[in-house]
Amino acid sequence: MSAVEEPSETGFDRTLYDRFPTKGRRPKGEVEALEEIWCGPKGWQWITVINNNYVGVYYVGAAMLFFVLAGVLALVMRTQLALPLQGVLSQETYNQVFTMHGTVMMFLFAVPAVEALGVLLLPQMLGARDLPFPRLSAYAFWAYLIGGLAFFCSIFFGLAPDGGWFMYPPLTSTTYSPGINADFWLLGIGFIEISAIAGAIEIIVGVLKTRAPGMSLDKLPIFAWAMLVFAGMIIIAFPSVILATTLLELERALNWPFFDAARGGDPMLWQHLFWFFGHPEVYIIFLPAAGAMSTMVAAVSQTKLVGHWMVVLAFLATGFISFGVWAHHMFTTGMPGTAIGVFSAASMAVSLPAGVQVFSWIATVASGKMKFNTPGLFVLGSLLIFVMGGLTGVMAAMVPFDWQAHDTYFIVAHLHYVLIGGMVFPLFAAIYYWTPMSSSRPLSEHLGRWVFWLMFAGMHLAFLPMHLSGLMGMPRRVWTYAPGRDLEIPNLISTVGAFLFAVGVLVWIIDMCRNFRPFGASAGNPYNGGGLEWLPSELYSIRSIPVVTSLYPVWDQKNLARDVVAGRYFLPGAPTGGRETLVTSPLNAEPQHLLPMPKPSGWHVWAAVFTAGFFLLLTIQAYAASVISAVLAIVCVIRWCWFLDHPLPQAKVDVGAGIQLKTYDSGPTSTGWWAMVITLVVAGMVLAMSVFSYVFLWSRSTAPWPAPVNLLPALTTGGLNLAAIALAWLANRMMKRPLLATLLMVLAGAAVAAAWGLDLNGWREAGLKASMSAQGAIVYAMHAWQGFFVGVSALMALYVVLRWAFGYVGSDRPATMQLIGLFLAYVAAQGLVLLCLPRLLALAAP
Amino acid sequence: MIGLASAGLAACVEKGPEGPQITGADPARGLALVESHGCGACHVVPGVDWPKGQVGGPLKGFADRALIAGKLPNQPDVLVRWLRDPPALSPETAMPATGLTEVQARDVAAYLYTLDDQ
Amino acid sequence: MTNRTAHESLAGWPPPVLDPAGPFAEPLNTLTWGLLAMAAGVTLVVLVALGVALFGPTAWRRKLGGETLIWIAGLGFPLVVLSALLIWGLSLTNRLAEAPQPGDLRVRVTGEMWWWRVAYLDETGREAFQDANEIHIPVGRPIAFELETTDVIHSFWVPRLAGKLDMIPGRRNVLRLQADKPGTYAGQCAEYCGGAHALMAFVVVAHAPEDYERWRAQTSRPAIVPVQSTGAAAFDRAGCGACHTVRGTSANGVAGPDLTHVGSRQTLGAGVLPNNAGTMAGWIADSQAIKPGNRMPAYPVLTGPELRAISSYLESLK
Repeated sequence: MSAVEEPSETGFDRTLYDRFPTKGRRPKGEVEALEEIWCGPKGWQWITVINNNYVGVYYVGAAMLFFVLAGVLALVMRTQLALPLQGVLSQETYNQVFTMHGTVMMFLFAVPAVEALGVLLLPQMLGARDLPFPRLSAYAFWAYLIGGLAFFCSIFFGLAPDGGWFMYPPLTSTTYSPGINADFWLLGIGFIEISAIAGAIEIIVGVLKTRAPGMSLDKLPIFAWAMLVFAGMIIIAFPSVILATTLLELERALNWPFFDAARGGDPMLWQHLFWFFGHPEVYIIFLPAAGAMSTMVAAVSQTKLVGHWMVVLAFLATGFISFGVWAHHMFTTGMPGTAIGVFSAASMAVSLPAGVQVFSWIATVASGKMKFNTPGLFVLGSLLIFVMGGLTGVMAAMVPFDWQAHDTYFIVAHLHYVLIGGMVFPLFAAIYYWTPMSSSRPLSEHLGRWVFWLMFAGMHLAFLPMHLSGLMGMPRRVWTYAPGRDLEIPNLISTVGAFLFAVGVLVWIIDMCRNFRPFGASAGNPYNGGGLEWLPSELYSIRSIPVVTSLYPVWDQKNLARDVVAGRYFLPGAPTGGRETLVTSPLNAEPQHLLPMPKPSGWHVWAAVFTAGFFLLLTIQAYAASVISAVLAIVCVIRWCWFLDHPLPQAKVDVGAGIQLKTYDSGPTSTGWWAMVITLVVAGMVLAMSVFSYVFLWSRSTAPWPAPVNLLPALTTGGLNLAAIALAWLANRMMKRPLLATLLMVLAGAAVAAAWGLDLNGWREAGLKASMSAQGAIVYAMHAWQGFFVGVSALMALYVVLRWAFGYVGSDRPATMQLIGLFLAYVAAQGLVLLCLPRLLALAAP
Repeated sequence: MIGLASAGLAACVEKGPEGPQITGADPARGLALVESHGCGACHVVPGVDWPKGQVGGPLKGFADRALIAGKLPNQPDVLVRWLRDPPALSPETAMPATGLTEVQARDVAAYLYTLDDQ
Repeated sequence: MTNRTAHESLAGWPPPVLDPAGPFAEPLNTLTWGLLAMAAGVTLVVLVALGVALFGPTAWRRKLGGETLIWIAGLGFPLVVLSALLIWGLSLTNRLAEAPQPGDLRVRVTGEMWWWRVAYLDETGREAFQDANEIHIPVGRPIAFELETTDVIHSFWVPRLAGKLDMIPGRRNVLRLQADKPGTYAGQCAEYCGGAHALMAFVVVAHAPEDYERWRAQTSRPAIVPVQSTGAAAFDRAGCGACHTVRGTSANGVAGPDLTHVGSRQTLGAGVLPNNAGTMAGWIADSQAIKPGNRMPAYPVLTGPELRAISSYLESLK
């Protein structure tokens, strides 16, 4: 207990931990009350569930559905390629199918699957009753499911995108892709990215703020570390592709030439933006799987992970380095030599943390006694496949070799080794390993072995020959190949392998149908894992939230399960009478306050339906209907927010052993504050990437980019934005006077709107046209982005007025005003960037 | 025409159950020639995966066809002559002279006679 | 392709990447083998370590089961291997990506959906004459290919002669390559460019220097059109000249490949068909059945004799 000697992070008296486990019996009816409060909605209302025990299972299930669907597409492609010049698929259909296979696997399977794993496992591992924003994760799930299914269905109508999952313009511009196929990709994927970001915010706040007391960062389970880095990477990486898809959609819909070389645009801008997202994406997928691997290696070897801290540092290093490797997808674009050198070095450096992880797993296996059960087999298989994929990755990081291998089947082989070894096999291991936690029956060990060996053999059979066909000159993304080039044999073997792999997946589906029985009792801890998720749990999660003193509490803390079930730790009941969980501090997990949590409701579901409706209707160009859908979505979101930020009658409650915690919080200790700040980081990343785009396009220009130089409007714009920041700050100081605070906040909103309008008007008067030049396009795109924020600000101002009308503005509930104030300050700062950037660059010649 | 027909009758042909046979010709060599000359650019030829041109008639079941190009008797020597220089036999045809030698044309004909309806 | 005779030199075995035919591909072959050996070696190391960790004697396993293993095998060993590789890779990059030299022969290749426009340049960079889908070079000297595109991104790849380089709108990339032996080398578009990307091939024909000069003299000349050629007349009447150029005639379209010497090419349709009067006729009548989506429409309006006349006329353009 050396931790006790350190100064407390929050002022919480850590000697209070010594009161646990408490003595004596808990009052009667406490468990029944918990059960009553946390039971899922019945009948058709199941759709409104928000408990992660449900949503997590649905989420994983939906991700696996997309895995199977995209896998079927792969089988169709392999059938077409089994022999040369087959007619199974026409050229157009094949181009759609390979685009969909990649897109669905990356966006609808891989990212959601690991995110889903987080939603399902994290509250259990952290000892929380649920994630901090259960409705947000349910919203993310429904948005993803509805949007994903609609997107997938486009293939049945021949409307599926056919520009490849990387969607390079100009092939995807209206000139060369006039149909709405590309719009399906841009809007569909843009939308699903929003869902992924929502999930990431949830995960970051969940990991940092809802851990069991005492679970300081050095006792944070390795999987949670991985999910934390993963979510952080989503926050940094996804804004780039959101911006890219927005720009391309603007180019397609409004003819704004971001990527059109003839009007000063540059198709390379897309590649930079896409791969700044696209390569970290690979590690985004890999990290949670590596976290799961690290957890399972320790469990199946029945020993602690060797080099835990090195693995954590490796995760962090992977996260950092992965943002410096994007251009290795662009080695054949004729980039200058120095840039090539830097990216090549970074691409190799990123394999160092991977080496650390692999040898940590091997060391763990050596120091324990490995059991060859199904999770164990998948762990070993994954390790081997991932190493092989990593090594071909090192090969491809060698620039001259990449000149040959790039865009050939060698790369197809490489990426499938990495993704299957780094993500699919760990995921199957995880499914077999954690099913007993959320199902009343474990999956079959007997069938599991079949699944493993079929998938393992099929995987090598399918992808090993592809290395060769690549070196034999077979390019990627070809719907057929010519006979007489000796490509028949490797391709036929690959096809056989793919079907063998599919048989493995089929056996797994059979196993799931026969044995997976969720939402009831759990099947116990058959693999004897050491984390909190293996404590006996019900829909309310664990009965009481223990004080954690070890990285492997179930292994190290004596009688933990017994005491937890007996309610001898934190929160043995429901002191506020509703759903709730403990909020703890980010470093040492000291209890800070009790977070009341929402009950099931339909509003987030409807919000998801209408958000999806907005994007889909926009895709099929039903503009009026899409606007109506957007308005309805906004109404639903506002109604959903209306539940939030209401203090409970009990200002403080006993959370166990006489420890009193607040039931309301605002500011940097509250979960809402964290979520808002992370959201603003996302927005700031979009801004940063659009600044990059501005500078990039500017640097490609042969003539200087002028900017309006009228001093008075510029100063007014700047002044208004600064005033907005001051007003928002002042509003929060005036919470004791609700009317004044409301007025100040509305004024702040008006100020950012006025500043935006003034700046925009300056550009219009200067005669800049969005469709005439790349400068026009990017200037108006940035103003459109700001306009979106101004629109949201207006909605927020309206919301504040509404709250004031209902008497909900006051010093007893400052959170909403605080968050809106933060948002408005950000919008104003963004307005200042928009004001300064073009004018500064106008002074310099490109 | 009559001359052609009688020449056909006099030719050294055995019409077996698999269609006419041409002495000394090799259907396998014929197929290779069909592929290397790109006959598929105009004809759907069984045994050739691609291309499957729609310009000329499909050659499936050619052995059982009564006429070549709808107007000439489907006899081996007529076919061989046709394969070498179609416009000489039918000035309106779109099929150009192929540049096949006599021996090659016999091989190709032999291959075409393996194409029955089964 | 179906034309085995024309494509015997284009077979996939031995793998073109491992069968270099010039000084710009040779080091890539060495590098590839080196990297394959590295990959196989490291896989073996991992397999052995894993094998010992699983089944080894307890004493060995105890040795492996600590952080030392991670420091040595997970961090130190890769660091050494990767640093060595990086030095090798970057020095090779610098050597191979050398800027074009004054003596290089200059050829501009423009990617089009889904064929290759080839322009032979003189020393000053002016276009001497155009051709398509087949590139002729002399052996024994570096050729600087100036790679451009008129539509989407393509990638120029002749694996036996050099690595690939993209053709990007608004940019010009220069790729140098050299063939040491006369022969035919297969090339292919490597960047997905929509529709018929799979069928966007070409060949590079390397000649001995004197043969190359002969070829160049021959090909730079305008076409020799026989007087009163019915084919040339039919070609005119069908409007072919709106998209195709036959130098020395009124046909001066630029949308499609230059046909001035189309009869001398090995392939039709950008490396997909053997070139003879029959395939030419088939291609003209219905190229869509052969290469779906290509930009040349089918011509079902031509009569048989017209079609033959045009195709034999085009075949005569050597």
